[in-house]
Amino acid sequence: MGTAKEYTIDELMVCTLAKAFTSEDIILNGTVSFIPVSAVLLARATHAHGLTWVAGAVGVDAQPGAVIGNTLDPTMWKNCVMYLPQYEDMWSYVHRGTLETFCIRGAQIDQYGNINNSIIGSDYHKPKVRLPGSAGMGDMGSLDKRVFIWSTTHNPRTFVKKVDFRACVGWLDGGDSRAKLGLRNGPQLVITDLCVMDFEPDSKRMRLVSVHRGVTAKQVQEQTAFELVMPASVPETPGPDSEYLRLLRDVVDPKSMRKIEFRGSATKV
Amino acid sequence: MTAKKEDKLVSLQQAAAMVRDGDTIAMQGMGTQMSPLGLVRELIRAGRRDLQVAMVVGGIGLDWMIAAGCVRKVMAIIINLDEFGMANNFRRAAEAQQLEVEEYTEHTILTRLGAGAMGLPFGVTRSGLGSDILGLHPETTKVIECPFTGKPVVACRALEPDVAILHAHRADSFGNIQFFPKPIWTDVDVFPRAAKKVIVSVEEIVENEEIRRTPERTGIPYFKVDALVHLPYGAHPCSLFPRYNFDRAVFQRYADESRTPEGTRVFLDEFVYGLKTHDEYLAKLGGPAALKSLERWD
Repeated sequence: MGTAKEYTIDELMVCTLAKAFTSEDIILNGTVSFIPVSAVLLARATHAHGLTWVAGAVGVDAQPGAVIGNTLDPTMWKNCVMYLPQYEDMWSYVHRGTLETFCIRGAQIDQYGNINNSIIGSDYHKPKVRLPGSAGMGDMGSLDKRVFIWSTTHNPRTFVKKVDFRACVGWLDGGDSRAKLGLRNGPQLVITDLCVMDFEPDSKRMRLVSVHRGVTAKQVQEQTAFELVMPASVPETPGPDSEYLRLLRDVVDPKSMRKIEFRGSATKV
Repeated sequence: MTAKKEDKLVSLQQAAAMVRDGDTIAMQGMGTQMSPLGLVRELIRAGRRDLQVAMVVGGIGLDWMIAAGCVRKVMAIIINLDEFGMANNFRRAAEAQQLEVEEYTEHTILTRLGAGAMGLPFGVTRSGLGSDILGLHPETTKVIECPFTGKPVVACRALEPDVAILHAHRADSFGNIQFFPKPIWTDVDVFPRAAKKVIVSVEEIVENEEIRRTPERTGIPYFKVDALVHLPYGAHPCSLFPRYNFDRAVFQRYADESRTPEGTRVFLDEFVYGLKTHDEYLAKLGGPAALKSLERWD
């Protein structure tokens, strides 16, 4: 498998996230999650055949063939082995940790991977901007999930020093503050339209891992409102394998539903 | 209205009259799926006020109700139109501080309803620990110490809505409510059990014998149902899997027009206020032949 020369950022983000998933993962997805769902389908079609996906948190091991509808929609439950009842079954598996992997995006993400999609402003009840709300992130942050964060708007408004409202618990205030609260796991990786980041193991501060083609580490820092942990040298994010790219374009998401997520992004795809 | 084994079929207007101003209503819904929107349209026409709406995921119906001035408070985890973007009237009302927003995590609001359903004073979860969401409403969610392990858990005060409104696949006239393939979503599961009154609209009315042949499909028994309305396409423009999909054209039109209060008014005049009955609504959509086009899942 060679590395593709021509690719767009949405394709790179999906392929990079797909590479982070393994056959051990049991993943459920939430609303407007075209990039994660594409990555799940792609990982399952390539290196992670054993990966379990619960489509829209309902369709167990669903096989819709392609991303054909919005990600919570019954169209995506096709060929599943079970419709998972939400109230008892799904929440049992989520609480116990059987369903352990979840992907989250948000309007604000801070240096410890705490996330906000509720309000912008200093007073929740007098919001400057009212956002849709926390949805599943308020649950998953506290329920021991391995969280993968994605964002199509890497800028200082999204990547803030401190979120205005902590809807999703990441590494809290860094260090061992999350563990002290008795919460396992936490944010693992952050994939944006500019770069890939993880969290420095001790401080739990966000750390640059690689920059996408044509982007410099300096540019990433300028687009981030807090100081990133900066390794001595930052490599370029490996481009997608040609076969992954072909599968993404032709099989997994031929309607390019993932591009919906770039509305409002400075990155054109 | 009683919960006895007797005919529960009422008109849409009679059903809406069972919801009173100021009620807390538990309303079924997802972004684009399964919501009792025929009932919602009637509540708007009936001019209900000061409602406190409890949902998991609020969508187009809630946004209409907010625009129409029916809602004082929402309790929910997210309110949007899924891939069609923001619920603009929700956003405007919250930003103008004309709407009280009581945001929950999914499992804290479900735990509140679960406690209500069992008549317990509260339930517990770990959802939301460490988040700012719990602090929004200390009178209903509170971190306490587990009496056995000493670990922190979230106590969620029981919630018993005055009324639950739902849309389902079919029922007999006694109100044995059936779903296909079975109740999946939390709201058709715990909402009716937690609520004091339950109003359900259904696509189809079948004989009691048909229910008895297929009891595995029954999600709510007659004794928990107070009123039943026969309302084909009663979830439109939302979907009712696997019967019909959501109506992309109507969603897109609302997403566009609701960008302004004036546009919202045009939409509501055309799809809600200007139509007196559900039959008029179906006729406006082009009748059965046009609606047939929604029966696709590819």
